Amino acid sequence: MIAPIQATGLGKRFGRTWALRDCSIRIPPGKIAGLVGPNGAGKSTFLHLVAGLLSPSTGEVTVFGRSPRSHLIQLLDRVAFVAQDTPLYSGFTVADMLELGRRLNSRWDQRSVEQRLRDLEIPFDRKIRNLSGGQRSQVALGLALGKRPELLLLDEPVARLDPLARREFMQGLTASVAEDGISVLLSSHVVGDIERVCDYLVIISQGRVQVAGDIDELMGNHHLLLGPRTDDGPPPSGVEVIKTSHTERQTSLWVRGRVAHLDDGWREQPLSLEELVITYLSVPAAAALPRPELEEVPA
Amino acid sequence: MSWVTWRQHRLEGAWSLAIGAALAAAVIFVAYQLHAASCGGQANSYCFSNELGGTIAQGIVRLNLYQYGLVVLPALAGAFIGCPLVAREVENGTHRLAWTQGVTRLRWLAVKLVLVFVPLLAVAAVAGALEVVLINQLGTTPNHWAFFDQQAPVVVAATLFALALGLAAGAVIGKSVPAMAVTLVAFVVVRVGLAEIARPMYIAPLSYKSVDLNTQTGAVYPSAWWLDDPSYYDNAGHYLGTVTFNGYRGQAAYFVQHFQPGDRFWAFQSIESAILTILAAALIGFTIYWVTRRLS
Repeated sequence: MIAPIQATGLGKRFGRTWALRDCSIRIPPGKIAGLVGPNGAGKSTFLHLVAGLLSPSTGEVTVFGRSPRSHLIQLLDRVAFVAQDTPLYSGFTVADMLELGRRLNSRWDQRSVEQRLRDLEIPFDRKIRNLSGGQRSQVALGLALGKRPELLLLDEPVARLDPLARREFMQGLTASVAEDGISVLLSSHVVGDIERVCDYLVIISQGRVQVAGDIDELMGNHHLLLGPRTDDGPPPSGVEVIKTSHTERQTSLWVRGRVAHLDDGWREQPLSLEELVITYLSVPAAAALPRPELEEVPA
Repeated sequence: MSWVTWRQHRLEGAWSLAIGAALAAAVIFVAYQLHAASCGGQANSYCFSNELGGTIAQGIVRLNLYQYGLVVLPALAGAFIGCPLVAREVENGTHRLAWTQGVTRLRWLAVKLVLVFVPLLAVAAVAGALEVVLINQLGTTPNHWAFFDQQAPVVVAATLFALALGLAAGAVIGKSVPAMAVTLVAFVVVRVGLAEIARPMYIAPLSYKSVDLNTQTGAVYPSAWWLDDPSYYDNAGHYLGTVTFNGYRGQAAYFVQHFQPGDRFWAFQSIESAILTILAAALIGFTIYWVTRRLS
């Protein structure tokens, strides 16, 4: 299958600063991918490049094998984007927003959007500015899903929501995309949100992609090794040490890979997703990227 | 897209229509008053009765409300309607919503331009035409030059220019309020600059020479636009000055004064309209470039 998103050497510069640099990733189809990284890491820039709002300074990105710059209109029927802070026209009623979606999108599915918002008890005649943050996000999500997209991009969709609305939003999202097999890329700086819904992880920091892979594989492949303090000893064979820390009597190694045989006094602990993300973010030079797979790109 | 634009801007539309209608009503009322008092051919001061209606009409004409309105309203339209057109979307981030629906940015902008600009230009055209009606009611040989900025083609071109200026400022600055300030300042600079510096030179002025120092030039060519004060010369052709000729008693032999004749009025209207329209077109072209290439 054609990857919903494939980037090759993708970079974006604003003036003298690089917001994104040399980014090469392929997000496999059917995944709910989470894009994590600190604020200003380049998450929005990446999403804007994919949505065709920005054009790359270097490299290229393709969406279903096509460049958003040259095939934007064809792609916009298949790609939905919910921008940061879920922008909607505040003077429009909910019904007006749906009318906008209906008029501007060729594959619009009015019935399912109405059903969805009715289930959430969102009043259709209320103006957007009078909705709660959670309702507003739900309308934005409904508008995006109403396009019947094959790829859904969400930029920090829950950043401004309280924990309950966050959970509801994420649940609604997973339920909807599971039904239709939509590929999703959502950004967040909260790992908990990603952990709840995503099965693919991309860590981006300081404009570079550090980690990309299936969450299950990443979790199975990263461990914390704890043992007696060894300052300069050779690293255990078969693993790559990402980060080392020492206390007076103990050495902790965050590693990728699995040690066949642990020396005496060493034990292995699993890492939580949050620990994994923080470990990588604290060592910007470390990277875990799948080998690039090339695929045929249709003309 | 048309529906979306209509839904977004119907409030501004209603306001513009209301202001346009109020202007039109005022002019028609004044013109009717003047006509009823059968002013044609007489000086203004004889025109008005003391009735209430006459007093209002007199007030409007005396204060030149309508005349000032036609100079100020285009600037306000540029600031309050032109600026937010793109800027408000950028401020609220809604451009990212609009541009990721199934519509190109170019179409998005084009629909806004047509649906918002064209009706406003139509209102300006009607207002400018009514001004001509009003002036014609004021007397048999009206001097149009005094109302140059308020007449049909120039008012429409000035409105287009103001809207394009607001649009471009809003798109580049990305915030409505600072863009409004820039628009108002730039509009005043351009219009005053054109009127004061460029306009007298659109076509080389003619000069009027008279050896009769008592000649009232305004009476010789009542429809002319006199560009300067009379310059006095002696018999040898030496320039004396522009002070009233009594100061050069015995020396002054003739005076020269420069003017644009009345039959050039519409040519000047066309030239100034063309200048404003070209500026507007450049600003719109720049906005198209900015919106399609630079914004994200």
